[in-house]
Amino acid sequence: MDVSFLFGQFLGGLTTAMFLFLIASGLSLVFGVMRVLNFAHGSFYMIGAYLAWQAMQWLEPTLHRFWLAALVAALGVALLGAVIERVLLRHLYGREELYQLLFTYALVLILGDAAKAIWGTQQLSVSRPPLLAGGLDILGTTLPTYNLFIMLIGPAIAVAAWLLLTRSNAGRLVRAAALDREMLGALGANVGAIYTGMFVVSSFLAGLAGALVTPIQSIVPGMDVEIIVEAFIVVVIGGLGSFWGTFWGSVIYGQVLSFGILVFPSFSIFSVFALMAVILIVRPWGLFGRPIR
Amino acid sequence: MSRCRILAAACLAACLAPFAAGAESTIKIGFPMPLSGPAAVYGAPVTKGAEMAVQEINAHGGVLGHKLELLERDSKASADEAVRLARELIIKDNVDFLVGTLTSAEAPAVSTIAKENRIVFIAPTSKSVQLTSPKNLHPYLFRLASNTDIEGHSAASIIAGWKEVKRVAIIAPDYAYGRDAVAAFIGYLKKARPDIQIVDQQWPKLGQSDFTPFITAQMGTHPDAIFCDVYGGDFVTFAKQAGPLGYFKAVNNRLVDGGEVGTTDEAQALGADYPYGIWSDAYDPVIWAGDEPPEHKAFIEHLKAFTHEKYGSGWAIMGYSAIVALTDAIKKANSTDSDKVSKSLLGLTFDTPVGKRTFNAKTHETEMGEFWGQMVKGEHYPFAIISNPKYLAVGPFTD
Repeated sequence: MDVSFLFGQFLGGLTTAMFLFLIASGLSLVFGVMRVLNFAHGSFYMIGAYLAWQAMQWLEPTLHRFWLAALVAALGVALLGAVIERVLLRHLYGREELYQLLFTYALVLILGDAAKAIWGTQQLSVSRPPLLAGGLDILGTTLPTYNLFIMLIGPAIAVAAWLLLTRSNAGRLVRAAALDREMLGALGANVGAIYTGMFVVSSFLAGLAGALVTPIQSIVPGMDVEIIVEAFIVVVIGGLGSFWGTFWGSVIYGQVLSFGILVFPSFSIFSVFALMAVILIVRPWGLFGRPIR
Repeated sequence: MSRCRILAAACLAACLAPFAAGAESTIKIGFPMPLSGPAAVYGAPVTKGAEMAVQEINAHGGVLGHKLELLERDSKASADEAVRLARELIIKDNVDFLVGTLTSAEAPAVSTIAKENRIVFIAPTSKSVQLTSPKNLHPYLFRLASNTDIEGHSAASIIAGWKEVKRVAIIAPDYAYGRDAVAAFIGYLKKARPDIQIVDQQWPKLGQSDFTPFITAQMGTHPDAIFCDVYGGDFVTFAKQAGPLGYFKAVNNRLVDGGEVGTTDEAQALGADYPYGIWSDAYDPVIWAGDEPPEHKAFIEHLKAFTHEKYGSGWAIMGYSAIVALTDAIKKANSTDSDKVSKSLLGLTFDTPVGKRTFNAKTHETEMGEFWGQMVKGEHYPFAIISNPKYLAVGPFTD
């Protein structure tokens, strides 16, 4: 095994990781602040992918239409998230977690059927944006430019979210809401608006992830459920509710998958599940999470 | 008051409607098929094909003086759901026959229900050899589809013909279908070309969202040719990720995919991103670059009109042919009794738009092959088509 091969495998794992982080970040944010385990996050991601495809059909074939389509998709899903949070989800905050879970699971079914009714069952596809269609040769392996772009956008989102949460006034309120919702309300802050804002940001991220994934994946019914399982694994590894945990959880997932298939080629998914099982036993709150008292 | 009366009359009519329909007795065919979820990509066109056959046959007066009635149910590609539906169709709807199921998970499950209830069951697309293995076969089960042995052998025969190939790699989805086809592929290739070495096997799961690590790992073993069984939406994802990594170029496009990625469905989904130059198969090439049989041309024209689609799907033929075969068997038996029909299906030869097929009396399978060829950029189409589709139904290797 030469170095360039191992490096290629490392890059492959990193690509997987950053794609997963795009989707898992929003899931983690909503859980961290609102304590809502949003099953429908994968559905938002799927709707984002379909919307991006739809926007591509409507827009004139210009050089930059993909980016515009991605923005349209992300904003569309953010709007959908806002409506769902304002009209439906907010009634469930005081309830037991089981009700919230059932509610978001119902959303999965409804959005899945809605997508099927609108876009049919055909697999759809979007081509790479022309600017990022090529590849780079690094140390003897090819790195597609689009993969490089995804590798950069993952950390960019992580840093931006971290800055927002730690350095801005809104971020301070959000962190306060995560710690003690009632106390913050008593102090006069508009907790409802903070929650809506968080849900919208999370939906936006899901929509964006769905749109950005279209150049390298097929858009099919069922992509929602497929991705949510992987996103949950990442979030569990990193620690529920820990944002950086989700980031490192993705990186670990990608590398374990990537090098795991070299060790156990016949059981590709085994290594990732094994890792999750070990973490759940040894450190049930995840690598970066805090034990819940 | 009068409005109330109209409403009451309407209710009464609605209640009586099922009895009225029942009066003109139809031949009922239960049709469990995935119509939602990822498998609906295939389930929907297979169903369309069956609907079209039923419409054609009924337009010609039906069978034995009865109209056919297709009772479609969404199996969601789940074995449990397919079993529940099959039971319900038999007990509640009194169906005469079962046709349907898509995957190698549903078909064996429904097969046991057909056996229990002594009802003829035709599986149009399930490929796993386990369905009709001696311990699972029973008098009422018939398979229209090809099987994983034929697929693996056919793919291996193509690669065996490439003299310069010495190192072959494999990538297939990790479940019954992929495992069975790969076993058949390796068995044939080892005998046909003992000089070839299998250098790598990758087993991504069905619905894998990122194939990149699998692709890079496989490229690291430097194969000359690849047998791939990734199909459907997964193949779209796979091809879009593998192309920019130089995967297809590294093997000079010597990749053979047995998962029907030669269909127009797949080619349309990928458009210009299709890895032109690879080899694949389809039950129905739909767009026939070469000597197109006139029956096929007529079938596709009708299909396009029936579905209002521009090109038509390569899967409709399976639903269509299953209904045609069943109808022929009913005619031959001159009865709708499953015991008689199951006997008349043995050795029955029937017409399909791509030629005659026969149910082997011993295996209960048509043992049909598929149309294989190199995928090229269509001259008049914005997507890939099979060039010179060639019918291959390769049995076990015999020297």
